[in-house]
Amino acid sequence: MKVFFAITFCVLVLLSVVAWQMKPDPPPGKIPLVWVSDDNPARRQQIALFNQLHPEYDLRLDPRASTAGMEKVMLQSLAGVGPDVFDAYGPSELDAFVRSGIAWDITDELAKRGVDLEGEVWPAILPTGIREERVYGFPANVAVDAIWINKDLFDAAGERYPEGPWTWAEFIELAKRLNVRDARGRIKQFGFLCDWWQWPQFIMLFGGHIYSEDGTRCVIDSPEAIEAIQFMRDLMYKHHIMPTPVDEATMATMGGWGSGTITYFGAGKGAMALGGRWWLCTLRDYEGLNLGVVEIPHEEERIYRAYGRATIINRYSPRREDALNFLLYQAGKEYNDLINQQADALAAIVRYNYTPEFLHNPEHPEEDYNEVWRDVVKYGRSDDWSPFVNGQTAMRILNKQLDLVKSDQKPVPKAMRDAAREVNEEIAKTLEMDPSLRIKYYRLTGRERPE
Amino acid sequence: MRRRHELRAALGFLLPNLIGFGVFTAGPVLFSLAISISNWHLHRTVAFQWIALRNFVELLHDRDFWLYSINTAYLMLGIPVAIAGSLFLAIVLSQRLRGIVVYRTLFYLPTFTSGVALMLLWKALYNPEFGALNAAINWWLDSLHLNELVQALGGGGVSAPTWLLSTKNMLGLDVEQIRIIPGQWGLGARDALIIMGIWIAIGGNNMLLYLAGVSNIPPELVEAAQLDGAGRWAIFRNVTWPQLAPTTFFIVVMSFIGGLQGGFEQARVMTLGGPAGTTTTISYYIYTKAFEEFQIGYAAALSWVLFSAIFVITMINWRLGHKELHY
Repeated sequence: MKVFFAITFCVLVLLSVVAWQMKPDPPPGKIPLVWVSDDNPARRQQIALFNQLHPEYDLRLDPRASTAGMEKVMLQSLAGVGPDVFDAYGPSELDAFVRSGIAWDITDELAKRGVDLEGEVWPAILPTGIREERVYGFPANVAVDAIWINKDLFDAAGERYPEGPWTWAEFIELAKRLNVRDARGRIKQFGFLCDWWQWPQFIMLFGGHIYSEDGTRCVIDSPEAIEAIQFMRDLMYKHHIMPTPVDEATMATMGGWGSGTITYFGAGKGAMALGGRWWLCTLRDYEGLNLGVVEIPHEEERIYRAYGRATIINRYSPRREDALNFLLYQAGKEYNDLINQQADALAAIVRYNYTPEFLHNPEHPEEDYNEVWRDVVKYGRSDDWSPFVNGQTAMRILNKQLDLVKSDQKPVPKAMRDAAREVNEEIAKTLEMDPSLRIKYYRLTGRERPE
Repeated sequence: MRRRHELRAALGFLLPNLIGFGVFTAGPVLFSLAISISNWHLHRTVAFQWIALRNFVELLHDRDFWLYSINTAYLMLGIPVAIAGSLFLAIVLSQRLRGIVVYRTLFYLPTFTSGVALMLLWKALYNPEFGALNAAINWWLDSLHLNELVQALGGGGVSAPTWLLSTKNMLGLDVEQIRIIPGQWGLGARDALIIMGIWIAIGGNNMLLYLAGVSNIPPELVEAAQLDGAGRWAIFRNVTWPQLAPTTFFIVVMSFIGGLQGGFEQARVMTLGGPAGTTTTISYYIYTKAFEEFQIGYAAALSWVLFSAIFVITMINWRLGHKELHY
C-alpha cells in the first residue's frame, strides 16, 4: 500500500512539473504584455496592429466582463498578479483604481515623451484619465450619443428624416407616428429605442446633475433631474414610444457589446435609437440597413454625455516601462485611424477626427453622417462623479430607486429624493471611514471639522 | 517503538490533508474573523485600523442587511416543497418500473447540468412576452375567460406575472421597508427563483438520499403492515415516514444551511440582485460589499453574522429534530 501511495505521489508531482512546463510562454525574444479590456473584434484588431508595429512585444487580451471587471483587476494587481495595462470606463472607475493605488501616475513620463494630453485630447474624455491634475490613464476613444435613424422605416411611414437642432416636442410627435402596432394592438415597431441605463444622459440634457460641482452632495433630487427622469418614464408609460421593462425583456437584452437594443434596432424593430458611433461595429453586419444620424433633441441645454475608455498602467507591473509604449501607440496616428475606421467610437485625439478618411470612409461610403458625431463631441460632458462615495455603492442605491421608477412602482420625485438622501448618507459614512477625504470635504464645504 | 512508527506513518498520510485544511480552510476562516474587527478597505486612502465590534454595530443599523436577510428567508420558503417533492419522487422511483434507471437519470439531470446554463434557460422561460410559462398561463386565462370574469365582478383583470421584472411576492413584502403592503401581493422575481430552485432540488441529491433511505427500509416491516391490512397511506404514515426520519432530519439541516448560504448564483446570472434589490441575498450582499464596494472588513463581519445564524439555526434543528428521531 505504501508503494502505491508513494507512486501516486510521484506521478502527481511529475504531472505538476509537466503542467508547469506546458504553460504558454510568449514567443522567444518577445516581451509579454497583458491588457484587460472588453473583448470584441475591434479590440483584437487593435492588438494585432500593435504587435505588428512593435514586433518586440507580444500583447494579449485578458477579456473583461462588463460587470465584473474592475474588482478582478484591482484584486489581481494588489496580489501582484495583475495585468500590465487595463481600461477604466469613466471617472468613477479611474478614481477607484487611483485610490486603490494600482494606477501608475504617468504625468511626468508623458511629458518627457512630448505628449500633451490636455492639448490633444477631446476635453470631454479627460476626466476618465486625469485625477487632481495628474495623468493616470490615456484616453483610448471617446463616444457621445446621438439619435440613429432607420431611413427605410421613415420612408415606409412617409416621414422626412429629422435634422438637428430639434426639440423634444418635435421628437415625441415624430416617434408616435413611427410606432407600428400589430393586429392585437401591441407595438411591434417602436418610434424610439433607448436603454434605461442612459438616464444620466437625460439628466444632463435637462440641465441636472447627479452630484454638486464639488462632489460633496448628491443632487439627483433637483427639479431638473426629477424632470429628466419623469420625462424618461413618460416616454414609456405616457407617450408609449419607448419600450417598457416588459418590452425590453422581450428583446432579451443581455447588455454589453452587441446588446439587445442594438440588435433590435438593427433588426428594424425601432425607427430611432439613442446610441453612439460604436454601434456601427455591430450594425455594419446588418446588410441593407439604411442609416442616418441626427443630434439628440434639446431645449436650452446642449450638453451630451461623453464616455469612453482610458488605458491605465499597473503600478506594480514589472513591465510598466514597456507598457508605456502601448500608451504611446494609442497616441499615434495608426491606432487613432484604426479606431475611426473601425467606428470604435471616435479617436480620442482631436486632430485625427479632422481627416478626409474620417468623414468619408472609403470602405463604407454609405456612412455619410460622420460629421454629426464629430460635432456632438464638442458638446460632450463627462459623467458626474463624487470622490466622497464609492461609485458602485452609489450606483446600487440609484439603480434600486430607478428600478422602481422604471417599473412604474414609485413616483419619480419620491424616488429621486430617497436616492439623494441615501447617497448622501453613504457620503457621510465614507467620510467617517476615510480621513483624507474628510479633510478634503471640510475644506470644500468650509465647514468646521468636528472633533 | 512500533506505535511511534505507526503514528509517524499516520501523520505522514494525514499531513497533506491537514496542510490543505490549514492553508485553504482554517487559515482563511480565522483570517476573516480577524479582519471582521478591522476597517480593511481596498482603497489605500483608508488607513487600516482595528475597530473592535464597530462593523457588527453598523450592521445592526444597516437597513439593506435586514432587507436582504428577509429576501434570504423568503427564498427558503421553497425548502419544504422541495423536500416533499423529493420524497414523493424517491418513492415513485423506488418502484420496480420498466426503464426506472432512465427515469432516475432524467430526474437527476438538473443536478449535474451546469447551474449557469439552467439559469439562462429559466430566464428565457420567464420572459413575460415569449416565455413558455406565460404562454401557458395566458392560454389558460383565455380558455377559462378568467379575465372577463374578474372584470365582470368589478376587478381590474388578471394578467400573467412579469416574473423576473417584478418586485411583487406571495407575502406582499415591501421593497424598501420591513412591512407587508397589499400592493406588493402577487408573483415576482423572488417567487420565480423559488420555483426554479424547487425544480432543481426535487430530482437532486435529496431524492438520492431518500431513494437510499427507502431501499433500506426492511421489507418485513412493510409486509407485516400489509398483513395487518394497512393501505398505502397507512404504510407510508406508519412505516416509511418514521423509517426515513434520520434521512429527513439530515436533509432538513442541509437544506437550511444551503438556503441561508444560497442565492448568489441566481442573483449573479439572472437578476443582478434586482429588481430593486429584491433578489439580493446575504451571500450576494457579502460579495457586493467585498468585491464591488471594497469594504473587506465589513464583508467579513457580514460573513460571520451569516455563519452565526447558520450555526444557531442548525443547533435549533438539531435539538428539535433529534427528539423526533425514533431510533
